[in-house]
Amino acid sequence: MNATLQKPSRTRALIVLFALLAVLAIASVFYLALGRYYVPAGTVARILLAAVPGSAPVSPRWQETEWIVVWLVRLPRLLMVVLAGMGLALSGACLQGIFRNPLVGPHLVGVSSGASFGGVLAILLSLPAAGVVGLAFAFGMLALVMVFGLSRLAGRAGILSLVLAGVIVSAFFGALVGLTQHLADPEAKLPGMVYWLMGSFAGADWKKAPIIGIPTVAAGIVLLLLRWRINLLSLGDTDAAALGVKVGPLRWGVLVLISLIVSAQVSVSGGVGWIGLVIPHFARMLVGPDHRALMPASVLLGGIYLLVMDCLARNLTSLEIPVGLLTALVGAPVFAFVFWKTQARGWGRD
Amino acid sequence: MKNRLFSLVTLSALCISLLLASCGRSSASAAPKTRKITDAAGRVVEIPLLVNRVVDLWPAHHGMVLLLGGADKLVGTVAMAQKQPWLQKLYPRIKGLPAVTGAGNDLNIETLLSLHPDVILMSYAGGMPSWMDKVAAVHIPVVLMPAVTFDDIKTTILMTGEVLGPKQAAAARDFAKYYQDNIDRVRAVTAAIPMEGRPKVLHSMQSGVLAIDGVESLIDNWINIAGGANAAFNVKGLGKIVTLEQVIKWNPDVIICGTAPNLANKRKIMSDPQWSGIKAVKNGKVYANPSGVYLWDRHSAEGALQILWAAKLLHPEKFRELDMKKETAAFYRRFFHYNLTDGDFDSIMNAEAPRH
Repeated sequence: MNATLQKPSRTRALIVLFALLAVLAIASVFYLALGRYYVPAGTVARILLAAVPGSAPVSPRWQETEWIVVWLVRLPRLLMVVLAGMGLALSGACLQGIFRNPLVGPHLVGVSSGASFGGVLAILLSLPAAGVVGLAFAFGMLALVMVFGLSRLAGRAGILSLVLAGVIVSAFFGALVGLTQHLADPEAKLPGMVYWLMGSFAGADWKKAPIIGIPTVAAGIVLLLLRWRINLLSLGDTDAAALGVKVGPLRWGVLVLISLIVSAQVSVSGGVGWIGLVIPHFARMLVGPDHRALMPASVLLGGIYLLVMDCLARNLTSLEIPVGLLTALVGAPVFAFVFWKTQARGWGRD
Repeated sequence: MKNRLFSLVTLSALCISLLLASCGRSSASAAPKTRKITDAAGRVVEIPLLVNRVVDLWPAHHGMVLLLGGADKLVGTVAMAQKQPWLQKLYPRIKGLPAVTGAGNDLNIETLLSLHPDVILMSYAGGMPSWMDKVAAVHIPVVLMPAVTFDDIKTTILMTGEVLGPKQAAAARDFAKYYQDNIDRVRAVTAAIPMEGRPKVLHSMQSGVLAIDGVESLIDNWINIAGGANAAFNVKGLGKIVTLEQVIKWNPDVIICGTAPNLANKRKIMSDPQWSGIKAVKNGKVYANPSGVYLWDRHSAEGALQILWAAKLLHPEKFRELDMKKETAAFYRRFFHYNLTDGDFDSIMNAEAPRH
């Protein structure tokens, strides 16, 4: 384990991070310019520039519909997609670090299933969009409280009791999701539920943007500030404690932050899988296992990956493809390949 | 020990097969008491001459059984049907019937057997129900009814009447004539409307996602008969999920919200800035689809009213003499023997449960 912590040069990590940032910026431009409703790239640029405070006033040489498409439909969706991708990848990187296990993702903490249940319940009860978001968030956090309580009941603060509690809570909420679907009207409600569970940003708007934006940015910044401590946690509990880290409180603190991010994501866009699990592995290939570089690299890569997938989801056909399907469809084989290529090195046995 | 167990097993197997054989023989000797009916899947189904115990597994179909005067023959139902507020009001007995399944997808075979049904009624849109083999194994006949086009509603009513008995069959013929008359009445006016005179109609069913109804569906059928054109011309089938940009590109003249809560969905669309550039929203032409015993816009006997409502909605100047309130009241009086109040009419128009 320690052998793999050899630092790649700081400059190399910095170069990679800047390159990723540039890719993200370019991908964003393409994302805003592409869509089922054709808006010329020049018009897109003018609409965006006009909104920059202090810029020279641009005469609005665009149609109202073009403005609506760019400003009210694509831009909030772009922000939400990028934030969701970033948040999920960051959560995955942190979890893999503190659990010292490369097969861990945000789904493990039970928060995703809790939030999923809240979402389908709201659809079953015909609640408006705000209800879907609210219940998903509430049940996501409830799942974390249950995981906390269960692992406390086990009496040991170890990783194993936490993982077990996560599995139990996930299974419980998974069953509740199934029950809700079973009770749903197959013609009117079930398609909506299934679709929502598969994950999609079709409902993105400016009202939902802060719901995912505020928790993701706030919790994300704190996690990034903690990246040195997460490095220590990834050495193992005993070593970390010997180095003066309060293992229990730190681990729970990180879990609460991750749960905030994941609930926020599920509440606005349903189940988008595989990003938290797969992206950190790519980041690790690029910058190595040191969390100080790994975490920012995961953030950027996660944003890019989900952005590209969502761009496909809303453009490939006249129908909207659930982006969660694409992330898994592409993610699973790629992950299999990476696993096959790297199983001999990097994250070996503890 | 092993030997003993083996002989026990053989013995019981023998008993069971003897029992089964005698069962088969006794029902065979009563053979002339059946008749044959060809269902929507083209299967020739043998059903009892007199059908008195019916299990209906198609929620939308319960209203049809009720209007034909056959509801008292229902012995089992589907939980989804029991939740329909107008059906509950017009036929309270529905709440007490045992439900064989939640939504028609997987049924409890033992509950079904305990009801001793003469026949099971179910919808058919090209795929066999998942429980078909299970039910075939216990020799309960299943009649599948067509559920694809707007015309299928009429076919279904006629087929249902045929299954239930002569009295119901006569009622079905009466209803089918009324249904066809309404279609003809609307067609007589709308058939001549050229493509450019037909408003582009988007029929959406939002339930957490943006789902719309495309062409090659019964929704598309009634939009066309009523003198409209489906805005979603390049999407096939019901409840397809599309992007908002695609809707903006279609730029429909009229939007009809067809999934509960219809009225809330209508208000959401009217007040959402993302939708504000669409013609229908600008001109205030966003409507909630009515819903009564069943959703008017789907596989419902009330399709007969839907066609009048849609025609008046899309071409008010051409259907000036058509009074929806009068037509609706007459419909429920004639077919459901229920006198509609003004409050009832408003509830149905807003797709709400009856006020008590």
